[in-house]
Amino acid sequence: MSDTTLIEELLREQQTLSAVERFSRFHDRLDSRAKLYSHLLPAEPPSPDQQYAFSVELDLCTGCKACVTACHSLNGLDSTEAWRDTGLLTVSTPGEPFQQTVTSACHHCLDPACLNGCPVQAYEKHPVTGAVQHLDDQCIGCQYCVLKCPYDVPKYSESRGIVRKCDLCSQRLTVGEAPACVQACPAGAISITLVDRTPTLTDPTAQMLPGAFPSAYTQPTTRYLSQRPLPPDAQPATSGALPLEPPHFPLVGMLALTQLAVGSSLVFALLFPLLPLSAAKALSAVTATALQLGLISSVFHLGKPWGAWRFFLGLRTSWMSREILAFGIYSLLTLLTTASLWIPADGGILPFLGGLPTGALHALAFCTAAFGLLSVGTSAMIYIDTRRPAWPVALTFIRFLGSVLILGPLAVATLLSLLPAPGEPGFRIWIHTVSLFAAALQAVVCWVENREHTRAFHTPSSARHSTALLVKKFHPGAMKVRTFTAFACAFLTLTAPALPISLLPLLLFPAFLLTLCHQLFERMLFFTTAHRPRMPGIP
Amino acid sequence: MNIPTPASLLHRRKGRLTEELVLHPGRFGLGQVPARLNPDSTTTMVCGFCSTGCGLQIHLRNGSAINLSPDPLYPVNLGMACPKGWEALAPLDAPDRATVPMLRDRNTGVRTPVSWEAAAQHFCTEFRRTQMTHGPESAAFLSTGQIVTEEMALLGALFKFGMGFVHCDSNTRQCMATSATAYKESFGFDAPPFTYADFEESDVLIFVGANPCIAHPIMWQRVLRNPRNPEIVVVDPRATETAMAAGQHFAILPRSDLLFFYGIAHLLFSNQWIDAGFLSRHTEEAEAFRAFVADYTPDRVAAGTGIPVERLERLARLIGSGKRVSFWWTMGVNQGHESTRTAQALINLALMTGNIGKPGTGANSITGQCNAMGSRLFGNVTSLLGGHDFRSASDRAKVADILNMDPERIPVQSSRAYDQILDDIEAGKIRALWVVATNSVHSWINHGRLRKTLGKLDFLVVQDLYHSTETAGIADLLLPAAGWGEKEGTFINSERRIGVVRKVRHAPGQALADFQIFRLLAETWGCGALFKKWSTPEAVFQILKKLSQGQPCDFSGIRDFQHLDAEGGIQWPYPENSPLPPARERRLFEEGRFFLPGGRARFYFEAPRPNPEPTDSEYPFVLLTGRGSSAQWHTLTRTSKSACLQNLAPKELWVEIHPSDARRLGIEAHSQVCVRSRRGSLRAGALLTTTVQPGQIFLPMHFPEVNQLTFPAFDPYSRQPSYKSCAVAITAA
Repeated sequence: MSDTTLIEELLREQQTLSAVERFSRFHDRLDSRAKLYSHLLPAEPPSPDQQYAFSVELDLCTGCKACVTACHSLNGLDSTEAWRDTGLLTVSTPGEPFQQTVTSACHHCLDPACLNGCPVQAYEKHPVTGAVQHLDDQCIGCQYCVLKCPYDVPKYSESRGIVRKCDLCSQRLTVGEAPACVQACPAGAISITLVDRTPTLTDPTAQMLPGAFPSAYTQPTTRYLSQRPLPPDAQPATSGALPLEPPHFPLVGMLALTQLAVGSSLVFALLFPLLPLSAAKALSAVTATALQLGLISSVFHLGKPWGAWRFFLGLRTSWMSREILAFGIYSLLTLLTTASLWIPADGGILPFLGGLPTGALHALAFCTAAFGLLSVGTSAMIYIDTRRPAWPVALTFIRFLGSVLILGPLAVATLLSLLPAPGEPGFRIWIHTVSLFAAALQAVVCWVENREHTRAFHTPSSARHSTALLVKKFHPGAMKVRTFTAFACAFLTLTAPALPISLLPLLLFPAFLLTLCHQLFERMLFFTTAHRPRMPGIP
Repeated sequence: MNIPTPASLLHRRKGRLTEELVLHPGRFGLGQVPARLNPDSTTTMVCGFCSTGCGLQIHLRNGSAINLSPDPLYPVNLGMACPKGWEALAPLDAPDRATVPMLRDRNTGVRTPVSWEAAAQHFCTEFRRTQMTHGPESAAFLSTGQIVTEEMALLGALFKFGMGFVHCDSNTRQCMATSATAYKESFGFDAPPFTYADFEESDVLIFVGANPCIAHPIMWQRVLRNPRNPEIVVVDPRATETAMAAGQHFAILPRSDLLFFYGIAHLLFSNQWIDAGFLSRHTEEAEAFRAFVADYTPDRVAAGTGIPVERLERLARLIGSGKRVSFWWTMGVNQGHESTRTAQALINLALMTGNIGKPGTGANSITGQCNAMGSRLFGNVTSLLGGHDFRSASDRAKVADILNMDPERIPVQSSRAYDQILDDIEAGKIRALWVVATNSVHSWINHGRLRKTLGKLDFLVVQDLYHSTETAGIADLLLPAAGWGEKEGTFINSERRIGVVRKVRHAPGQALADFQIFRLLAETWGCGALFKKWSTPEAVFQILKKLSQGQPCDFSGIRDFQHLDAEGGIQWPYPENSPLPPARERRLFEEGRFFLPGGRARFYFEAPRPNPEPTDSEYPFVLLTGRGSSAQWHTLTRTSKSACLQNLAPKELWVEIHPSDARRLGIEAHSQVCVRSRRGSLRAGALLTTTVQPGQIFLPMHFPEVNQLTFPAFDPYSRQPSYKSCAVAITAA
């Protein structure tokens, strides 16, 4: 045999798999597997007022993490995907030696924040098992559930454009099989128990484990049990490790542009009687355009935008649904305003809009502005409702309304300064009034933000301490940028009155552009530094 | 076509995305499985990571593996697996698999693909030239505990008997050499005596330098099945996962283990907590040992180990209580500068108290790699094939007879050890090196020096699954190997159980099983005739059976691979005419007969030697290294290929430091720190934790920079490197 034929022979042998009939086992061995986990399942299925829940014996969980890989493997998940994860509790101050692995999946809450937040009802409680189930084909990929869940459970699948999550292996439970993680734990640390469906956790400070979000919010059903009390100084091993959150650029664009639009709607309504028709037409068109751009930007955030027409399904509980509705109406009103100004009195295709009386137009403008403000309110509520410490009520409203009242007036002032000199002699004063107001407000918001940051940074007990640390770590110059922008804007707007009107845009346009860029930066910070709550020690 | 109802329009409960996760009844006892992964048949094979040797049920479609789950019937793991087992198929799909032989052009330094023929020719030309010019001791191989026994045997036989070289070693030197040496001396054969049932039948389990909770989770599973409410004792400087789960934790000072166990032996003797009958009937040198440990008074031992006298006494009383006591150790013992004597100190404790050969007892070394035990028996490295002795003429004659070859082909000496081979390379004595399935440039102690050493070679061949390992990267010739799951053969696990691996995946490109590569090289070298009978792994298995005959490891009663498969693996010994079927779990020494002449076990002991690199004012911290998590294996060559496993451990290097040290040095949680030793430095994120003691820090061994720091000390008997202690400094970066 020559070498060449040997090599060919070896390569051929290499590609011949072990003969199946020689060794594969065809007999069904389900019983042998079921024996391994039967004691980890309740004897009876849940009654109508009960549901299944995970129960974890911490004393038995010693960090092998097989539960995670079993979930990944038996559910056929993507290479990076698993619906269970493990964290670590340690003592990181001088004290007794301690470590505890924490295995965690969805807690199948009685009052699930993900379900409540979903705009299209892509979540439901499984009628039998009580699992918080995700309807993958209903999901529009808005990822609001990702923001809402205080345990960081739903995970966005970039390739599919939807969220996927643990369903308690309901398909297995309903035929008497244990969930993958329960089957796989060599220590039998994870079991399934029955719990009542009535929420009982009312203590606002009670939490499943140190570092976990207070349970009163969503009523998680997982029980963590231990014979040995956890040391009082046990804390997540990740404390102090601060990953940046995703920046959500489409939402950054949406927030800045819609708030700009609402601000200019407001100024438009207020100045309407003073505006020449040409200015009103331009303003209304620019407002509507900014708004549409903002809304288009938001569409890029959705993984499956064409399912978004179902947004009304969530109106009862979801601020996202309410936001879509509010912006829908507001958007319609801005288009209406613009159309009624631009369509000539003698008709064209939409004769009824042309030639509306000024009073009616003014009323429409106010109505538009009012809906705009309402829409911004729903935007704020979307984030407030996540209960992330970085997004408290007052601060979120200050930020969003601040944007409205800074960006809108500056945009209007800049636009008016760009238009051919208006006939009204007293008109210039309004340009300055509006722009100076915006600059002053920007200074105030800057002061509030910086004071808030400094306070949170120096107060480790503050709920926003980790956010302040994130800002310091990744954007150490944020405070200076903010102060600089406020000063620059103030300088430009204060200098403007001294200039001839033809040169106004040279100051106002840079002021506007700088402010817009800064607002985009602020919104990016808003997202990237909003430290997400999660189960203790899970990276 | 279905006409959508208003309800289905509003709520899309079905569709392509939903369907992806719908489960279907999988046959073969699998329960519900996703349609994408529904198999048409299944088979069982042994996992290829660690020595636990778990049975995995491989889910096949058209004979090719699409998924796996732990085998519920396999006697080792009883339906469970650790994350590495669950993810065992993922590393086969990695994009950085070596798929074609690559040869470096000597002039340009660039590696280009070559044919197998050219690769084999080049290999043989270079090795032959080296041999002609510099003699039979001028080339060596470094192999592994990760390939099947049949391949190990063929490699060792080819290199020594076929090609006529002398020196070779395996990475088992880094993990199991100590246990092998200790057992050989104390028992007369490298024979871990236990069976996993001992975990379940013990009253007192003493884990020394072992963290089974994350390093051998399936063995820990067996501990948890123990119905006797056992007392679990952990001896380890760190409060590991296992220490946290144990009833008693002895956080001894690093490298005070030998002193500690001599102290316990002292207390056992002085309180008569011993099995005097067993000592007199089954051991030698017990009296000398009694005299030796007389000096190891509790006060002295307490001062040297940091453990108070009362606790020493309590432990000694527990060990001497007459209950079933088992001793279990791994790398904390094996990787020390006096590790052989430390392992033997544990063997001595078991012998003194008669805790051997009975259920739930034993001096038990938990092995590391999936086939370290195969390497120990058939690597043809330190001992001649089948645990024979190179120095014994009758052993050489026996082996030569079975292999049908001239006994003169068998060297009369055993090989130089790993560290000595490297010394020889440095000294220019060894000029060509063949590295098989190991990643020395990452794993070897103080590898900064190793890299320079390998640079002195005339010719470096690396045979590996991946072209991306640190060692493969510097090879002159890279031979692409098929991996676990792409070839057949057997592994021997920690409890001496021989299990089968199967070819359930196509190897990528032109990658060949190590077995086939060895056959090709034998043919090219011109010694193919010598290995005519070594045609397949299963044929080699029959040869190995013959080689084992009459040895303590005799497994000639095993018929073939199908027999192994049917029985769920079979433990050695299993000589011809053994009862059928073999008992599921069998331990050694039940009759109290050991393998030394006279059948008695022997006490070995020696005064502890000082730590070779103690801390000082410049390097005030002791660096401990070890397993980082259950999802990481050695140099991450394979486990880093599974995204799922990667998510289970920090991706950046971290160092564990006690909070009081961190506070003193101004090191904040998760900040970057710099760790320096006399040999190198690295940067890592700080994890503040009370699981390490003040004055000690811990680094996981899986990151390539860690072994730049370690101090190259070696146990004089086993030549195993001492990875577990060196002096370092740590500062905020």
